[in-house]
Amino acid sequence: MPDVKTPSGPENMDSDPNSDGLKHRAHANSTDADEASKDSENAGATGGTATDSAEKDGAGSQESLFECNICLDTARDAVVSRCGHLFCWPCLYQWLETRPNRQTCPVCKAGISKESVTPLYGRGSTKQQDPRDKIPQRPPGERPEPETQGPFQGFGFGDGGFQMSFGIGAFPFGFFASTFNLGEGGRFMGHPHRPQVPPNPDEQFLSKVFLWVAVLFVIWLLIA
Amino acid sequence: MATIAASRIKRELKEVKADAELIKDDVSVELMDNSYLALTGEIPGPKDTPYEGGTFHLKIIIPETYPFNPPQVSFTTKIWHPNISSVTGAICLDILKDQWAAAMTLRTVLLSVQALLSLPEPDDPQDAVVAQQYKENQDAYRRTARHWACAYAGAKSSSRELDEKVERITEMGFNESDARDALSSTDWDVGRAVEKLMS
Repeated sequence: MPDVKTPSGPENMDSDPNSDGLKHRAHANSTDADEASKDSENAGATGGTATDSAEKDGAGSQESLFECNICLDTARDAVVSRCGHLFCWPCLYQWLETRPNRQTCPVCKAGISKESVTPLYGRGSTKQQDPRDKIPQRPPGERPEPETQGPFQGFGFGDGGFQMSFGIGAFPFGFFASTFNLGEGGRFMGHPHRPQVPPNPDEQFLSKVFLWVAVLFVIWLLIA
Repeated sequence: MATIAASRIKRELKEVKADAELIKDDVSVELMDNSYLALTGEIPGPKDTPYEGGTFHLKIIIPETYPFNPPQVSFTTKIWHPNISSVTGAICLDILKDQWAAAMTLRTVLLSVQALLSLPEPDDPQDAVVAQQYKENQDAYRRTARHWACAYAGAKSSSRELDEKVERITEMGFNESDARDALSSTDWDVGRAVEKLMS
């Protein structure tokens, strides 16, 4: 019965390690999360000791890192200006309303506007939202697009054909130029930046097809 | 938003007190009553100025819109300075008007006023008579400011000569303060001062 065993063996080998792997991954995830939470707790603890030591120094600056620059209390609905100064949104809003024609940062007098401040969302901050009737909500956080790597990323095989059809549609002169150039191989068309590589056979075929389509199109135009 | 004003003043007082323990000859702020809307401030005269050794008192009125609008600050101690009215004690300082910023505190305001004592700005005067004297007769300005600091702010080592001049006029039956005002605005010319008092 080794024939039965051998196939079942590898099957077991295949299935078991997979499930084990999944379990391992799940474990890994949970332990990561645990460690992360522990880390944050530790960070909190060290933060606490830092402020404690600041208090002991007698500088009177306990927790002052996150105090609103206007009400001097711990910032609620915190926003930060481009110049880096922290405020409660209600406080900053009132400051900007108080002098509509001189919108300056209360700390450094740099230019500031309702639109240019960034809200700070701490962990679980959405749960602490208190309704503010008169004061509009904080401006939403900006979501800038990630920067792309250069403008030529979409070009690859077949763009010769694409370029040619474009040439026919928009620029008839481009079409004539392309027909004249074809004798030397259609590779220069529309791509002056590309180094002179031997013409791709597929590309050549495609350009010929398009050329014939173009010729037929012109003939149809002449007849009609 | 009187609540913000009160809670901020409470905080600022705490900080001023904490700083006062650390820094000698610092500015100080005290409550006038329990409303947190009226306070008194104290500024030591800065070194190397005619005001050195004097202690100047100020009245601070907190508007209900504080800190979005500046506090009203004026000297209650009489002082001879181009940017401070020698009559009312009103201060001409940009941060108490259009240059106010909500992040400023009573402490920074008083420090700014103290800096103003060291660096008068005669081109933007509050008291035109003092400003003119500061520009045209710097020495007379210094002696007058010093005399006033001794007479009103408790500074020591006054000029004997000026004291005598004040005495001479008060002996004529004039009020001491009026005599000092007249002498100060006439560059300590007794004749002109008496003329001024008679008119």
